[in-house]
Amino acid sequence: MKIEIRTTVNGRDMEAVVKPNQTVLEWLRDDLRLRGSVEGCGVGVCGSCTVLIDGRPVSSCLMLATNIEGKQLTTIEGLATGDDLDPIQQAFLDNQAFQCGYCTPGMIMAIKGLLNSNLRPTEEEARDYLSGNICRCGTYSEVLAAVKSLSERNGTKQ
Amino acid sequence: MSSVGLDVSRADGPAKIRGAAQYAADIELPGMLFVKALRSAYPHAKILRVEASKAEKLPGVVAVLTRDDLKGKNAFFGPVVKDQPVLAIDRVRYAGEVIAAVAAEARDIAEEALDLIEVDYEPMPAVYDLLEAMKPEAPVLHVDRTKAQSFPAKSGFRLQDEGNVLSRYHVEDGDVAVGFGESDEIFEDVYTSPKIQHAHIEPHATVAYWEPSGKLVLYTSTQTPSSIRTQLAELLGLPQSMVRVIVPFVGGGYGAKTHPRLEPLAALIARKAHRPVQWVLTREEVFLTAHCQAAVVKIKTGVKRDGTIVARQVEAVYDIGAYALTSTNTGRNGGEVSGGPYRIKHQDLTTYCVYTNTPPTGPYRGFGVPQVCWAYESQMDDIARRLSIDPLELRLKNLVREGDPFVTGHNLVSVGISDCARRAAEAIGWQRGAEQAPRALSGKVRGKGMAVMIKTTMTPSNSSALVRLNTDGSAVLLTSSVEIGQGTLTSLAQIVAEELGLSVEHVSVTFPDTDVTPFDQSTSSSRTVFTMGGAARQAAHQIRQQLLEIGARVLEANVEDLQLINGFLEVKGVPDKRRSIPQLFQARYGAAVGNMVGTFDNQTSGGLDPTTGKGKGSVFYFLSACAAEVEVDTDTGKITVQQVITAVDAGKAINPRLCHMQNEGSMIMSLGSSLFEEMVFDNGQPINSTFLEYMPPSMEDHPKKFQSLLVETPHPEGPYGAKGVGEAGLGPIEPAIGNALANALNGIRVKDLPLRPDRVLAAVQSAKEHGV
Repeated sequence: MKIEIRTTVNGRDMEAVVKPNQTVLEWLRDDLRLRGSVEGCGVGVCGSCTVLIDGRPVSSCLMLATNIEGKQLTTIEGLATGDDLDPIQQAFLDNQAFQCGYCTPGMIMAIKGLLNSNLRPTEEEARDYLSGNICRCGTYSEVLAAVKSLSERNGTKQ
Repeated sequence: MSSVGLDVSRADGPAKIRGAAQYAADIELPGMLFVKALRSAYPHAKILRVEASKAEKLPGVVAVLTRDDLKGKNAFFGPVVKDQPVLAIDRVRYAGEVIAAVAAEARDIAEEALDLIEVDYEPMPAVYDLLEAMKPEAPVLHVDRTKAQSFPAKSGFRLQDEGNVLSRYHVEDGDVAVGFGESDEIFEDVYTSPKIQHAHIEPHATVAYWEPSGKLVLYTSTQTPSSIRTQLAELLGLPQSMVRVIVPFVGGGYGAKTHPRLEPLAALIARKAHRPVQWVLTREEVFLTAHCQAAVVKIKTGVKRDGTIVARQVEAVYDIGAYALTSTNTGRNGGEVSGGPYRIKHQDLTTYCVYTNTPPTGPYRGFGVPQVCWAYESQMDDIARRLSIDPLELRLKNLVREGDPFVTGHNLVSVGISDCARRAAEAIGWQRGAEQAPRALSGKVRGKGMAVMIKTTMTPSNSSALVRLNTDGSAVLLTSSVEIGQGTLTSLAQIVAEELGLSVEHVSVTFPDTDVTPFDQSTSSSRTVFTMGGAARQAAHQIRQQLLEIGARVLEANVEDLQLINGFLEVKGVPDKRRSIPQLFQARYGAAVGNMVGTFDNQTSGGLDPTTGKGKGSVFYFLSACAAEVEVDTDTGKITVQQVITAVDAGKAINPRLCHMQNEGSMIMSLGSSLFEEMVFDNGQPINSTFLEYMPPSMEDHPKKFQSLLVETPHPEGPYGAKGVGEAGLGPIEPAIGNALANALNGIRVKDLPLRPDRVLAAVQSAKEHGV
């Protein structure tokens, strides 16, 4: 069985045919060949498949592709505009906030979601929000430094 | 120096922050099929029947691989002993062992086909506990222990012929009976560490296909491309030149991606299907594929009243699971250093590696050392408490120093461990003589603890490097070292750039491709900077010599008066008397064409005698210290780690930031195994094999104060003095946290990892009952 959906991926409207049991992650990787989002745990707890749906982070390994009908999907591939990096990507470079890099796209997307809802997160808020993104290489100090630099860039907390 | 010692930004940054870094599961080949595996429901059983005809008929299934496909062929592999079948032949030895595999047009078709494969089992008695497995009446897992071609001569360990003990390592010095006789106090304890997961976030993944020429090509998530090539050639009866192993980015390994895991089966099913195949494990399957050896460590120590350690006897048993891989070496590695980084006159150290009906283990960051460090460093603090000596003072009194002979008989060089201990203690605000003071056990109680560690690296071992200088003054390093997150693409480029006086941006480092890149023993044992870095430096040095000789002729100067700097060769002190690299190519060939090439085969020497356990155990030693502070909730047993500080002797930090990040990775990883990580089995069935039940540390677990310190005691054989750092920070964390807990609880000690709330609560209760 196939189901037709209309959705927006990284700013581009599209019509697609998906399977009823296909996850968003499978659809992105297998059909759209957008492979920056990756599977780590398959049960929605490691965060490496994080994408944004209408600006909010979602574990794409748990959500069915049929559920993105009419929604705005953003993946790591949609953050930069040509050579212009998203400020989060630049902050990751500036702070060298990655090692093996496997969790990095999900981590960046989760931070995008964090900053969408909270322009100037404190360290406590960042730790809490990002606790669903596991980095086994242990790059948490550098990621927190990247978030701090973004938070400070957005001005001080009132 | 222009490159070495600087925080050069990582070469892989742009790809990684854009989600463009390619991992094995991202590789897609035309006509590629998807593989799924049928796994054993029983931990130990005879396989009476495997019937796959229904599965083969399912539309979309292209090939099913069963034991029938292995009849009359080599079916067993293993880097030390060939005990592991590509898939189960006549029996299964752990719940989750692969019995059959399907290659199909889609993953869901392959999954569906698995249900159509019929297997008849005859369950057999099984053994899950490592001490039970050593008993004569225990069911035996393996009878055959055929050595692999790659079996090391100076392995140090001895294979055992029968029972479940695969190997034994023993070394001694002096006479422990005499030593215990001379001691004022004797301490005897048993410490345990559970099975834990590497939990690399990228699951194992392999893509395999056969070229029409008969060459096998693998894209695989491995730390050991050269070993995969060697072992697959041996298994499949192919020349090594007909096995090509390509490694893209690897999403973490920590040891779990060493030696064949998915590759043998992927190769065989691709051959049967005549199509490329992709096999990517689910997280649950990763739990069934590799983990860290559990251990029970018995330790007896005799000391003088002044704190001098006189004698130490250690007997450690490692549970290696159902198959050997390199666990023999893990056991030896733990055994060599199980007395700790101390001057001890009388030592008697023995380790055993024991098969059990649990999933195969494998190298885990620390390679057998954290288990023994947990024992000797915990006991060290009990000794300090009994003798009323400050734990830091006790360590400094006994720690090895430069030039000391180690228990294996070799003299230690580059010994910065006392500096590590002092700096870690200073950073945490260690109060000498006061850290073991009594506490009132109510509410939340704090304690500080520290620990030190010594670890060996793989010795002997081999790394070859080839450097090509291009006509424009850029260079390429061809290497089979794997970028697993540690920053190899960057640190090795720094070494080549330094040697050739080039800007680091002008040096690129290849990914492993065994058709092109030279042999490398492994990207493990934190050996890459020392061994491959050494090879790269020597290879670049050969080109340097060529450039200097051409320059001396062209500039009419002596070689000694020339220097390579910023892409130019110039006469020292006369900057306008210089030539660019293109000009030097011109001078050599009459045109800016060709390459200048340097290559070096870096074979380190050493190894241990299997009879005496003696020899040169390591080309360099990892030395480190950790200081930790915990807060214990005496009502709930919950531990909150307030501070962790680790100091590591890096020799020379080629890229200090990368060294710190390796160190931080070790710290947070070991924090998880200190507090909550453990694999749980019920009658051989894994019961917490997803990240829902087994969660690695998250940002919430990350201590507020979390600091890495580097000590630099140059090593004479390391490139620019460098040693490895990838594992150094890991060993001392568990005992440092354990010692902090014991100090918070007035010396009451938890001897079993992890330090779960129930264990801590029991210790609190015990402390209250003892009125301490």
